[in-house]
Amino acid sequence: MSIREKGYHRWDGRLEERRRGWKPIARLGIRLAFKRKHFKFAFSLSFLPAFVFLAGIYLSERLQDFEGIVRKGAMPLRVVPGYFLSYLTADFVLFMTVVLLIFCAAGLVADDLKHNALQLYFARPLAKRDYVLGKAAVVMFFVLLLTLVPGLLLVVFKIVFSGSFGLLRDHPGLPLAIVVYSAAAAVFFASYSLLLSSLSRNRRTASFLIFGIYVFSDMLAEILRGIFRTPYVGLVSVKTNLKLAAAPLFGTKPVLEVPSVYAFVVLAAVVAAGAWVMNRRIRGVTIIK
Amino acid sequence: MTPVIQTRKLSKWYGNILGLSEVSLEIGPGITGLLGPNGAGKSTLMKLLTGQLKPSLGRVLLAGEGVWNNPALFRRIGYCPEHDSFYEDTTGRQFLDGLLRLHGFGAAEAARRTESALRLVEIWGDENRLIRGYSRGMRQRLKVAQALAHDPEILILDEPLNGLDPLGKRKIIRLIKELKAGNRTILVSSHVLPEVEALTRDIRLLHQGKIIAAGDIHDIRDLIDAHPHVVALRCDRPRKLAARLMEEPHVLKVHFGPDGLLTLETDNRDLFFGGLPALVVELDLEIEEITSPDDNLQAVFDYLVGK
Amino acid sequence: MSAGKTVDIELKDIAYSYGPIEALRGVSLSLGAGATGLLGPNGAGKSTLLRILLGFLEPDSGEGRVLGYDIRFERDDIRRRVGYMPEDDCLLPGMDAVTFTSYLGELAGMPRQEAMKRAHDVLFYVGLGEARYRFLETYSAGMKQRLKLAQALVHDPPLLFLDEPTANLDPRGRTDILELIADIAAKKDIRVLISSHILSDIESVCSQAVILNKGRVAALGRLADLRQPNFNLFEMRVKGGSGKFLKDLTGLGCRVEETEDGLLRVFMPVGLDRKKVFRLAAEDRTQIRHFLPSRTSLEDLFAQSVGVEG
Repeated sequence: MSIREKGYHRWDGRLEERRRGWKPIARLGIRLAFKRKHFKFAFSLSFLPAFVFLAGIYLSERLQDFEGIVRKGAMPLRVVPGYFLSYLTADFVLFMTVVLLIFCAAGLVADDLKHNALQLYFARPLAKRDYVLGKAAVVMFFVLLLTLVPGLLLVVFKIVFSGSFGLLRDHPGLPLAIVVYSAAAAVFFASYSLLLSSLSRNRRTASFLIFGIYVFSDMLAEILRGIFRTPYVGLVSVKTNLKLAAAPLFGTKPVLEVPSVYAFVVLAAVVAAGAWVMNRRIRGVTIIK
Repeated sequence: MTPVIQTRKLSKWYGNILGLSEVSLEIGPGITGLLGPNGAGKSTLMKLLTGQLKPSLGRVLLAGEGVWNNPALFRRIGYCPEHDSFYEDTTGRQFLDGLLRLHGFGAAEAARRTESALRLVEIWGDENRLIRGYSRGMRQRLKVAQALAHDPEILILDEPLNGLDPLGKRKIIRLIKELKAGNRTILVSSHVLPEVEALTRDIRLLHQGKIIAAGDIHDIRDLIDAHPHVVALRCDRPRKLAARLMEEPHVLKVHFGPDGLLTLETDNRDLFFGGLPALVVELDLEIEEITSPDDNLQAVFDYLVGK
Repeated sequence: MSAGKTVDIELKDIAYSYGPIEALRGVSLSLGAGATGLLGPNGAGKSTLLRILLGFLEPDSGEGRVLGYDIRFERDDIRRRVGYMPEDDCLLPGMDAVTFTSYLGELAGMPRQEAMKRAHDVLFYVGLGEARYRFLETYSAGMKQRLKLAQALVHDPPLLFLDEPTANLDPRGRTDILELIADIAAKKDIRVLISSHILSDIESVCSQAVILNKGRVAALGRLADLRQPNFNLFEMRVKGGSGKFLKDLTGLGCRVEETEDGLLRVFMPVGLDRKKVFRLAAEDRTQIRHFLPSRTSLEDLFAQSVGVEG
């Protein structure tokens, strides 16, 4: 016979000494994103382009079946690296990525700042890089889900539909290009959104900045191009920078007559700014009250 | 003499949320403590008393006049709100000076009163700093200063001690006690019961929108029949004493604590304490201490509000 | 581990400045078993000290060990074993209390399933059992305070830092939290360090106290020692009788002062038999309702330590 007395009870488990502190942070961030209103709708919608491009691959292989429908002299659809690039940097895909960022990334740091939660994190055996990495992993998860996963699957389906490895034989670097681009985009979007999320203590402001800067930088570039008539103003636009930087990876012609290296520099600058601001904001909260 | 603060069946609802329900109060000059758990209606009552809210039912009379929509009366009231509401980018001095000008004082008079009020709460010295840079204690003291700068006869102070360190509290408690001397009527709310006890024995206890106790703490305690009085004794032979006390019908319970403390419950304190000295002499006991652990505000609060 | 003898916090000459402002100027102390109150006026360095103990701040000079770990080089080991309840409101929005508590347990190094199990236990313990599936944004001030205690306890730390644990609570919430803290502190191998502005809270749960003033330790020791009873000075409250009692007391050689709320302060001459006092009371039919050797109150002790006249 025994009783459990009222009062405080000890926990007899053992704490893990060596562990990756960023993992629970990333897991919770992803779970919370799915709990947000309308997120699942936006999430499903963002896979639409992948299916369209999949259909494109199917059609390109079965073009002869549709000869009756397709007008004579229509350009046949050619599935080359440029095809994958145009999926990865499609306006709609990039746009939906930014929309998903609003759900999953805007509050990542802003909420913690608003609710004084940083001291809860750092009262635990957690390094600053665990925190940043955990938060960034949330963003990267969604970005990779929209770039890397469909990109590689499209390659696989191309091989399946054509029944040959012709694509890989002609372009052996393609899978690597997809991986590198996806990784770069993930790092960029993580820095971009964490930077903006940590600037504000308000999730809405952060959402507005994430969406606004993406859209308005593009509009601004268009306006400036009308005024200055130089392709270099395209470097103002987030979208154009991504497209410019991706082109050499896939060996295609850039959208603008601007060396890609400039785009790389702009993107790298955003990443650096993100790292710098995060470092300062987190320091600012844990150290000085 | 009519009480300075008087309410009659005062009730207040916010939509369908109860604020106060049929509160009839009479408060005279001196310090009165206003207590109650969160959501009991303390701040609502204070806002009604200062004319910031319109009662749903009932009336508030201050010095015999209705307070709602009676700005002439506001000059005689000082109010210290619970929450901070400052213009953060003004200095403490500008803030207070501005408020005094709003009260209708001339520039010279306002400046003089600003200085004396800020000196009183010991902010003079930091008067030209922006409020944004004030510590929590300074903000609290500035709120008290603005409540009394125009020398009102009625002071309504909502949690004036909140956020102050022990020294700050001691100073404000002393200040409030000094203000009492000028025949002012001071109503103070606080969540920290020992602090209320340090200020006054006259309390009003609000619970669920109603006044459930009013008067002197010890008198209120005597009225609570449901809980017998607890007396704690420490002496050289507690069991000897307890054996004799158990013969008395008014002793209901005897308990021996782990450290030799004898705790008794009695339903008649006068009989108990009346007989005790003779018993001590008769049994030749060495008494070390006699205390009443539940004759304090905390006990009154727990018994009436329920834990 | 033999409780009681181990020193849990040991600091030597810790100094810290925020730019030109010296927050701590050479703090040395060692704290052992039980609950310790950390007191001091605003700006005395209490929060800075807690932050240094947690490794949020690196001291400019001096050294220290918490639970045997160096505060400069073994921060993770310290944080793993410390539960910290911050002063300000803090939570993570968009989740319920179970998710919140188990998440913070995981971050402390608990395995995931264990953290989940333990989260329920501590939430029940702090009295949030019924509310544990509610969203944190809907919590009242009192519930947030309990939640902060729950997250500090979830990984069962042997050392707890509680910063103003009863701030913004109503009297009921305050006694509830204090009872929980007292219960935890009664476990013999858990130490608690409580920073508070409310001296009566410290008096009710702490066995020892540290008083900081202007970045230095102004007093340190067991409350019982710091507040030695004065057997020549008694506090008394009397009722009834003809008033002859007071006169007779003076006749015994006592000096009697009466405070404004009716408390008698009776200075007894050395060697006076206390029974004589009760004999007088019995003769005069005076009730002695309160009889207590006077101790320095914590408030007086505080005022003395920080150099302010009573």
